[in-house]
Amino acid sequence: MAVLQIPGLSIILQPIMRSNIPAYLRHTFVVAVICCFSCPPTHAQEKGTAAHAQEKDFTPAAENTNLLTSLLDQYQQRYKDHLTQLPSTNRKDYEQIYNERWADIKQKFDKKEIYTAADAQEYLDKLVSIIVKANPEIQHYPFQCYFSRSYIPNAAYIGEGIILFDMGLFYRLTDESQAVFVICHEISHYFLHHQENAIEKYVKTINSPEVQAQLRKIKGAEYHQREQLQNLVKGLAFDSRRHSRDHESQADSMAVELMRHTAFALTGATSTLAMLDTVDKDDFDVEGYLQRAFNSSDYPFRKKWLAREEGLLGGHAHLRRDNQDGLADSLKTHPDCLIRIKLITPMVGGGAGRAFVVDSVKFRQLQERCRYEVIEYAYVADGYTQSFWLALELMKERPADAYAVTQAGRVLNGLYKAQKGHTLGKVVELPSPDYPENYNSMLQFVADLHLEDIASISYYFLKAHIPEFSQYELFRKVFEESAKNKMEQD
Amino acid sequence: MTISKQFIRWTLMAVLGLSWPAAGLLAQSKLSIDKVYSAYLRNSGTIMAKGQIKGYFFLYMSDKIDRHTNEYTLQILDENLNKVQSIKFEDSKKLSLLESAYNGNSISFLFKNEDNKTLDMKIYDFDGKLKYTYSREFDRKTDELMKQYATLHTDEGMNKNVFDIGDEGYVSVLPMRDGKQRTYEVDYYGSDSKKQWTYVPNDDAEKYAMAEYLGCTDSLIVLEVLKKNKTLGTDFSSHLVGINFITKKKQFEIDGSNDQYNIVPSGVVSMDSGKLMLMASYYDKNQNIVKDFSRGLAIYEITTSGKVLTKTYNTWAGDIARYLPTNSKGKIDDVGYLYIHKLIQTPDKRLFVVGEGYKRQANAAGIAVNTLSILAGGGTTSMGNTKIVITDLVMMEFNSKYKVTNATIYDKTKNTAIASNISDYNSQHLLAELLKAMGAFDYAFTTGESDNSNFAVCYSDWERSAEYHGQTFNAIRFNGKKFTTDKIELKSKASMMHVFPAKGGSIMIMEYFRKDKRLDFRLEKLG
Repeated sequence: MAVLQIPGLSIILQPIMRSNIPAYLRHTFVVAVICCFSCPPTHAQEKGTAAHAQEKDFTPAAENTNLLTSLLDQYQQRYKDHLTQLPSTNRKDYEQIYNERWADIKQKFDKKEIYTAADAQEYLDKLVSIIVKANPEIQHYPFQCYFSRSYIPNAAYIGEGIILFDMGLFYRLTDESQAVFVICHEISHYFLHHQENAIEKYVKTINSPEVQAQLRKIKGAEYHQREQLQNLVKGLAFDSRRHSRDHESQADSMAVELMRHTAFALTGATSTLAMLDTVDKDDFDVEGYLQRAFNSSDYPFRKKWLAREEGLLGGHAHLRRDNQDGLADSLKTHPDCLIRIKLITPMVGGGAGRAFVVDSVKFRQLQERCRYEVIEYAYVADGYTQSFWLALELMKERPADAYAVTQAGRVLNGLYKAQKGHTLGKVVELPSPDYPENYNSMLQFVADLHLEDIASISYYFLKAHIPEFSQYELFRKVFEESAKNKMEQD
Repeated sequence: MTISKQFIRWTLMAVLGLSWPAAGLLAQSKLSIDKVYSAYLRNSGTIMAKGQIKGYFFLYMSDKIDRHTNEYTLQILDENLNKVQSIKFEDSKKLSLLESAYNGNSISFLFKNEDNKTLDMKIYDFDGKLKYTYSREFDRKTDELMKQYATLHTDEGMNKNVFDIGDEGYVSVLPMRDGKQRTYEVDYYGSDSKKQWTYVPNDDAEKYAMAEYLGCTDSLIVLEVLKKNKTLGTDFSSHLVGINFITKKKQFEIDGSNDQYNIVPSGVVSMDSGKLMLMASYYDKNQNIVKDFSRGLAIYEITTSGKVLTKTYNTWAGDIARYLPTNSKGKIDDVGYLYIHKLIQTPDKRLFVVGEGYKRQANAAGIAVNTLSILAGGGTTSMGNTKIVITDLVMMEFNSKYKVTNATIYDKTKNTAIASNISDYNSQHLLAELLKAMGAFDYAFTTGESDNSNFAVCYSDWERSAEYHGQTFNAIRFNGKKFTTDKIELKSKASMMHVFPAKGGSIMIMEYFRKDKRLDFRLEKLG
């Protein structure tokens, strides 16, 4: 992951951080046993997807709560069975880590992150089925792949046989061969027990006579405890992260082998990694766009809405990330995408196979839907600023998109309500040196607005779009709310 | 606010201590990292610049180096609570961090080293590199006086001793004591070049002087100095003192001695034109500024050389009584006397003055107890026959000519601040100062944009209604055109909830969830 983390010490020396854990950290798993797909995942950034006009104005799919409940029960049983099979030696340690892993899985269901639309699941099942049929050695391993409504360009094996394919990654792909490579990569993590092995290795290491002796020695030391402990932890972290990087390379290699037995083009592997290598880059002039989008003759855009505090303490500092003799590189959990491409290129060869095998039309339809579902889910999961960012990106690309426009207004109305109720801090992110410049600029805009500004901006912005979208029910509802807010402030 | 900084420090330490094992990677029977090592939070506080919060510091004792030396980790969080710098250094075991300030290109920290008996000002650049260290000695008497000052209440989140004075550096204003003499010293610390000097007041009258920092311009440090010449047995007099930090000399001193009135400054505002605006209570020459009632509020415009350009007087009985039901002694019906907390001048030259009422009332319980005690043959008890009650908040508006043009009373629940016999024997001014020092007023702080185009005056209150019963945090917000009010009920699902000042226009809400041993902090904008 993008976060430099030394297990233990990062917690020991971590001060009170804000309760809103930045999006970057939310997907950080403890103990560096992440078996996810991506190159360092970052904030969802615009990446040139083919512009496909929505067939009709987007309406979010209703989540099937009964299905989610029954799936959760089923996985809970599997988790409980799993616990009974844990080794007796150091059992409590194993249990603690598996409990944490289960808590994370449960949250995906509780927060309705798992996408339950039947046609989407059917499509994903078809891709998985082709892979499984072509590779008998994995047929007896029970696993299931689901779409996650997360905007992050990522996929992950999260334990208990569950693979999550983030919609934020799916809509950035070009064809089915890439999707299949992603799934094969995660199946490989699952098949090779990378998570479980990493947990075992960690528990055994920390409980080994050597490490315990060192810990005892450090505990007994009167002086330089932190220094000694840091050296010990650093050594363990290097080892753990090196294994993690090895696991990624293994999963890439095995994924290519799994794909080889299917009709999909192996070049999907290298092209996916190449796409991920540049997924962070964006050229969205967000400040310029905000000034254009939210300027009206009745309530002109004010420069002070973009004002920022420069220097170390304003949230926009350019911090020097020291790379002490390659320290940061040594602590990465994933190897660089370019290195991964280099490693698998000989296996991929010339590129026989097809880009689409199952259904290219459905693939495009689902990509389109994913583009919208991630915006919706970010909002319902209280990630207002992420939803706003994604809506602005979509709006820039498709100015006549009813949902994008409506969602921008809906987020503004949500900000108004949250600020009034003193819960804004729970649904917005604030500018941080860890965020990309453009995203930070948008966060600053949100942070600079006062209640009366939010109400007026939303109202006049939506009002200008009435002629285009007055037939769109969600738009009408959102506009009515903005009018009410505006009236409250007048 | 009645919540002290000490409280949040204690809370942070207690909760951090509890949360480590929960957050630790290996809570197990064998040794784990969190069972081997703990870092202790020694001090925390805000980093201030121009009277606004720009960040936060946390000083941890992170390691023991030898018998006399510890390793410390100083973590710096920006205004949005992002960790931006972590500085490690070794120093004495007996080290505490008093205050911090920021001037846009460096951060200063005033440490107290009890081993060396020094106050060490350390100035760091943004990369966490130590630029300069300045040390000065302190003795037991100075230390005692500093401790005494430390217990006095200031507006929440505000520094007491260390202030930024622009790009060039910082000043500290320290109380000093020598026998019965009390005085002060101003220390200057350069941040762009190594430069330190100390201003020591040296006239006789300053043998008993207490200074309070009011503000600065690009060349002046402005202090309010309360003096008493004990040798002459004269009463207290209040002075506005300007110290030029370029020439290192006193630039001016205004005490009303050449004026038709005596004045007691309440605050000073640095104006765009480079001039200073002073607000003060004013008294007739034959009045005692400690015991007597002021005639009203005076507003002076002063040049940086100390020349008084304009003087405007607003009498309680005449000018202010037009907008508030005020008697000739400055007492407002139902509100009582007014303590001035804050002056706020907006870009369109309107001046808003925030005051809070206090009044003396009969104390039924005290009268009853004292009567019984006398009837039983004893004297009066420590309970007062009167008590001091904190009343409402008042927002007054003055025009560009400094004449009062409006005033609004914001109702609060009245609460008893003093019920002892102190209230029976002291003047209203002494009581006001005592109330301020005790932190008895409900006014907490004012936060807003740096040019005051938008600001919120914050105060705590207690509500007892059908819908809610408990403490509330309130704001009166000016959005450039009109005032609105905002209220946060401090009873929530959290086991504890408190509000602290934060960056301009925002507050920091702390919620502690006892069951989860979880402490949440978030910033909220005031609406």
